[in-house]
Amino acid sequence: MANRPLQLTLNGQPVGPVEVPDDLAMIDYLHEHQNLTGSRLGCGQGICHACVVIVDNPDGTSEEVRTCITGAHYFEGKKVRTIEGHAKQDEAGDLTLNPIQQKFVDLFAFQCSYCAPGFVNAATVLVETAQRQPLKKSEVEDRIEASLGHHICRCTGYVRYYDATRTVLNDLGLVKEG
Amino acid sequence: MGIVRSTLALALGLAVASLAQAADVAQVKRGEYLARAADCMACHTAEGGAPFAGGLPIHSPFGTIYGSNITPDKQYGIGNYTADEFFAAVTEGKRKDGANLYPAMPYTSYHLIKREDSDAILAYLMTVPPINRPAPQTALSFPFNVRLGLTGWNMLYGKSVQLQPTEGKSPAWQRGQYMVEVMGHCGECHTPRNPIGALQQDQRLSGGLLGGYLAPSLLAQDLADRGWTQPDLTTFLKHGISAQGSMFNEMFPVVHHSTQHLQDADLAAMATYLLGDQPPPAKQIKAVALEQMSDSAKRGHQQYLNVCAGCHGVDGKGKPHIAVAMDGNTVLRQSDSRNLVKAIRDGIREQQFTGFERMQPMPGFADKLDDQQVTDMVNYLRQAWGGLPGDLTVQQLAELKAE
Repeated sequence: MANRPLQLTLNGQPVGPVEVPDDLAMIDYLHEHQNLTGSRLGCGQGICHACVVIVDNPDGTSEEVRTCITGAHYFEGKKVRTIEGHAKQDEAGDLTLNPIQQKFVDLFAFQCSYCAPGFVNAATVLVETAQRQPLKKSEVEDRIEASLGHHICRCTGYVRYYDATRTVLNDLGLVKEG
Repeated sequence: MGIVRSTLALALGLAVASLAQAADVAQVKRGEYLARAADCMACHTAEGGAPFAGGLPIHSPFGTIYGSNITPDKQYGIGNYTADEFFAAVTEGKRKDGANLYPAMPYTSYHLIKREDSDAILAYLMTVPPINRPAPQTALSFPFNVRLGLTGWNMLYGKSVQLQPTEGKSPAWQRGQYMVEVMGHCGECHTPRNPIGALQQDQRLSGGLLGGYLAPSLLAQDLADRGWTQPDLTTFLKHGISAQGSMFNEMFPVVHHSTQHLQDADLAAMATYLLGDQPPPAKQIKAVALEQMSDSAKRGHQQYLNVCAGCHGVDGKGKPHIAVAMDGNTVLRQSDSRNLVKAIRDGIREQQFTGFERMQPMPGFADKLDDQQVTDMVNYLRQAWGGLPGDLTVQQLAELKAE
């Protein structure tokens, strides 16, 4: 296999162009080339969603993409956020988690944490979607299910993940009557 | 003496009765098998609905037709049909009240069903649980809603499927012809239709269009050109999956409801009929080096690595129980690439096959890849494993998409 140049934006930082193999999986690129090991390799076949990252589209929308079955070069020119990109660090080095991360911790949403990066990214995409267009109260449960239901968690079940996500949506005023 | 005589008479009577009962059981069992072969369930059962209770929407160019309730319910089903009336419905498209059935009911093929087979199917259907529920009413737009108008259509096309001469053909070929042309009514999808929905018998089994998908040609040479052998075709019918890929779209319910339940000998007979007693050799594809591919296909190679290789493999060999191989896949070998385009754009649902075999859902890429990218990818697949030129244009892709 040949190498080809790859250039993208990773957690707000421009990366590349760097030469990487044309068949390199994105998760391997993150782990081996960028030392970003937070995205988890679970099933390796696109089912468990532990490996998802967020892609920010030019139209302002964001979406989750599975990195275990997607090549690094698919992300050429794209803006990518991984689990490492959510928390803000101040000058003293203290971290502030994003609202979803914080609520997952507060409500003990995960146990072993293997699936957590994927859930954080998926729930963050849902919160960002709601920030552009608030959700109707009547559709909140379905939207949470549609966003998180296909992620596989085998420790706590989904109740606390759903609770935490629902709480964040309400606390941020992203749910309207209807 | 009198007691002995009446005991004897009783014993004889019981014996006759139990013989008759055994015959009934055998007939019902045969009817169940034939109902599988004729795939009654595919159209007469709604998704998640009670068996044979109807309600499945069948989308046609003339409107949506709903499969009817064929359970033994006397109000909404066929509980009041006599064997004669059932035979007329199956073979002539005549309802009990004399109205014409729409030819979504494949009586154009079933008109050759043997009377004893029709009787057996009816005997079986009379044993399934009756469902007292009407199927949704079919409401086509004028003039197609006038069932009487079908009388002329039926005179012209009602018996359009005709059997080929059997002289010199093996018993397997002959059995296969009945299973393919009549019971399996394969031609109803795999034969092109004219503008008023009639099968074009001069082009029988040469491929038809169905909901934007191509039901590909089943002609022997075309099958062989796409890599089919008799054993592989038999396996495909039995399991829904073979080295040539898996059944998807409208063909998936066929294995699910029908062919997986058929006897190996009948499936082999179908393969014998389709490929012939002297099957043409399956075409081997010569590998094309990337450097020799069209510019579009070269670009498509990278698209393939980006979004396909994760499941189908960099080498196109697929992954067991995840995704089928591209290498040897029959869909890639269709010169009309619309099924490939549809699969890439729309994805394929998760599918369960026989035993524990299954394939994961394939995501659709309609909103992920633009027309140029899909065109490039299709050209790569055509050249890498299809034995076809990588010359599809974006304009041609747009036409395939639109249909």
